[in-house]
Amino acid sequence: MKEVITLRVNKEEYEILVPAKRILVHALRDDLDLIGTKIGCEEGACGTCTVLIDGKPVCSCLMLARDAQGHEITTIEGLMEDGKLHPIQQAFIDYGGFQCGYCTPGVILSAKGLLDVNKNPTEEEIRLAIAGNLCRCTGYVKIVESIAAAAEVMAGKT
Amino acid sequence: MRGEQALTLVGKSIPRVDGFEKVTGQAIYGMDFKLPGMLCAKVLRSSHAHARIVRIDTSPARRLPGVRAVVTGKDVPLNLYGAVIKDTRFMALDKVRYMGEAVAAVAALDEEVAQEALALIDVEYQPLPAVFDPREAVKPEALLIHERVQDYRCGPDVWPEPDSNICQHLKVRKGNIEHGFAAADFVFEDNYYDHRVQHCPMEPHAVVAKLEPSGRIIVWSNTQAPSRERAGLAEAFGLPLSKIRVIGTYVGGGFGNKTFVVVEALACALALKTRGRPVKLILTREEIFCSTVTKHPCYVRVKTGVKKDGTFTAREVTAIYDTGAYSEKGEWVARNAGLAAAGPYKLANIKIDSYCVYTNKVCSGPFRGFGDTQVTWAGEQQVDKIARELGIDPLAIRLLNADEEGSKSATGEVLKSVGLKQTLEQATHNLGWTRNKLEPYQGLGLACVHKNTNPGTSSGALVMVHEDATASVLTSSVDSGQGCKTVIAQIAAEELGLPVEAISISTPDTDVTPYDFGSVSSRTTFYMGNAVLEAAREARDRILELAGDQLEANPADLELAHGRIFVRGNPERGVTLFDLFLPHRHSGMRKGYVLGRGTYTSLNEKPLDRETGQSPKPTAFWMYATHAAEARVDPETGEVTLIKIAAAHDLGKAINPAGCDAQVQGSIAFGVGSTLYEEMVLEAGKVVNPNLMDYMLPTSLDMPQLLPSVVEVGHEDGPYGAKGLADAAICPVPAAIGNAVANAIGVWIHDSPITPEKVLNALRSKKERQPKD
Repeated sequence: MKEVITLRVNKEEYEILVPAKRILVHALRDDLDLIGTKIGCEEGACGTCTVLIDGKPVCSCLMLARDAQGHEITTIEGLMEDGKLHPIQQAFIDYGGFQCGYCTPGVILSAKGLLDVNKNPTEEEIRLAIAGNLCRCTGYVKIVESIAAAAEVMAGKT
Repeated sequence: MRGEQALTLVGKSIPRVDGFEKVTGQAIYGMDFKLPGMLCAKVLRSSHAHARIVRIDTSPARRLPGVRAVVTGKDVPLNLYGAVIKDTRFMALDKVRYMGEAVAAVAALDEEVAQEALALIDVEYQPLPAVFDPREAVKPEALLIHERVQDYRCGPDVWPEPDSNICQHLKVRKGNIEHGFAAADFVFEDNYYDHRVQHCPMEPHAVVAKLEPSGRIIVWSNTQAPSRERAGLAEAFGLPLSKIRVIGTYVGGGFGNKTFVVVEALACALALKTRGRPVKLILTREEIFCSTVTKHPCYVRVKTGVKKDGTFTAREVTAIYDTGAYSEKGEWVARNAGLAAAGPYKLANIKIDSYCVYTNKVCSGPFRGFGDTQVTWAGEQQVDKIARELGIDPLAIRLLNADEEGSKSATGEVLKSVGLKQTLEQATHNLGWTRNKLEPYQGLGLACVHKNTNPGTSSGALVMVHEDATASVLTSSVDSGQGCKTVIAQIAAEELGLPVEAISISTPDTDVTPYDFGSVSSRTTFYMGNAVLEAAREARDRILELAGDQLEANPADLELAHGRIFVRGNPERGVTLFDLFLPHRHSGMRKGYVLGRGTYTSLNEKPLDRETGQSPKPTAFWMYATHAAEARVDPETGEVTLIKIAAAHDLGKAINPAGCDAQVQGSIAFGVGSTLYEEMVLEAGKVVNPNLMDYMLPTSLDMPQLLPSVVEVGHEDGPYGAKGLADAAICPVPAAIGNAVANAIGVWIHDSPITPEKVLNALRSKKERQPKD
């Protein structure tokens, strides 16, 4: 059975007609064409599909699209402002925090979830914040460096 | 060595050229690719490890509303492929040989219908006895998984044993092995096992195939090797190469897992029957575990003769690579790793037997390290054991025996560009090898390695300089994350005297971009780097000709640097590239275009001798590396905590040093995962943990401090002296960790992975052996 639901994604509202069991990641990718949110396992084990729900990182494969109604959803497409990269995105370029780039949107959103509430995280806190995001390319070294550098920029230290 | 001028961009850690699209989520991967009217494909897989197919009835599935095509093995005209041995079915015909083998495929309007259709396909199997242990499969009386392996077409350096499960038996014989052992003061003999792990690229395999009205098939795929994929598909469907067009998407990780063409062939077989509607096939994570290639599990026996002072006199290695139901390049894994199996040491007497063996299990194939990790796990743990028992420092025994410039390899090759000793010194220095005292249950371990690359491969590139003084490089090289786009841009920019921002790197597209063997075997910087270098230099020569006309100078007297052409020794007499092209801006280049062509094929390699494996050049280059690890063991829980790994790599020349560090860090993470956490568990041929919940990949919390560094011993054939890197960077990791753990607890663990249970058992057995007081 299909139903009309309203999702608020990256500060814009969308009305879509979807089956009741449509999971959020499919609604984002297939109904809204927001392909920046990736799929890795579809069982909440890899963190590739991480989005922010009201600022908190969530695996969008574990949530029904209908249950995301009434919440503020942020995907990687919502991070740039006025044509400018978010400081975390810029830091990932400057510090090489990605290789194949497939886990990158999810990692960046987990990092945003952390840095929005913790301006001055320790390395351990950064590692903990991205522990649910599997990366097969980087060994996490340059990801952690990128997030630490972004934290400094966001806190106005550099 | 090629390219000796002063370098401005090569050797610099510039940011990657693919950053913006990746951090903004705009890069289009195989999973993301869509076309209007696209159908969804699903695959029916064998539920038996070994069975005869009596009958397949697809008619109920065909009748299901929404189903557009159903195919079986009979729908692929030449249903037999293989990278080297042609032994693999795209879809089973008369027999299935592993659980997970494709039997039929469906294309339907959506995923649910496709899934429902699979359930309606009726397959009658007649189960057959199966063999799962490669040590059983090698025996003469073992049941045969392929009836006549000798009848398969196969390439050079591959020797199947007739009427057996052995699809490759590589022999290396150097010196006299008996004399070598007789000359030794001590002989050590040990058995090791290295287990099965999966690449787990974060992006699943994904392909879209579409039939054009002309009969041509277009394939969009996240493959690591578009040119070879085109060749494989053309052969399978009996089409000329020009009738298949493979377009590469962004690739979310490969590591060897995305080099085979099975997924694409299934999509093509369906697309031929859907009247032009595109077909998309995505593998689930479970299918990736159960039906794509894995690392080879391997049994290794090593016997080493050594003198009292630590000099090695002889080494004998027997390795049995378990390749599963089909060879999937396992025959070359056994070849390349077999050639390296005695380790990077000066040894006068060597005997190596490297076998690749069929079993009724999911196929093993190319995996970072390409078999070298397995023999290094064995050989390098034994070197530490020898050193400790002889009372010699493990670093000293390696330096005593290490290959150096001019050493003769196992195949009799006179080695060049050998930075092994430097890597030994650098890695141990960076770790802090020499310490007065270690804490209880703390240990240091060392492993070094030499790693070769596939011989006789080829890469082509075109460099097109446009009339606004920018340039495009047309290349089939796939950037699966390793950073080759950036390296290619650096080389082209260096040679054309342009900024990196002025260079764009094409997407692989076999209609447009020249042949390339693939982004595999740590070969892209060396092969494609050389091709791009040559193409850029040809383009530069054409530019100098044009400038010669304008400046009324001999092109041979001109130089191109920093976007400007000028007379050598008289820099004022010159013109910028931009101004040179200005008159052509609106009417096009006077002579059509400026195009440079480059092809690099290494033709110097020589086949191996059938009986002795001897060859003066079995590989284009050897990479060398040493890793040194520091670990702590909890004697109560058996848990291993890694503190630090220092890695030093002789890669010839680092084109982008930060990118090289990144490759090493990633390879170490692969090694850490496979040594401590990851293990594919199979029971009677069935993968029991085919998901990322039960198969544990290392997370950000599991990684130690990493200290990568490079050693640059230039190679005469490499671009600017460069060789390769990534494969070598995983090989020493498991043995270095194993040696650190042994140093901490006093016992070597011979079977990987090093689980807390095995550590506790080792501690217990050590206690039992100690005399009671």
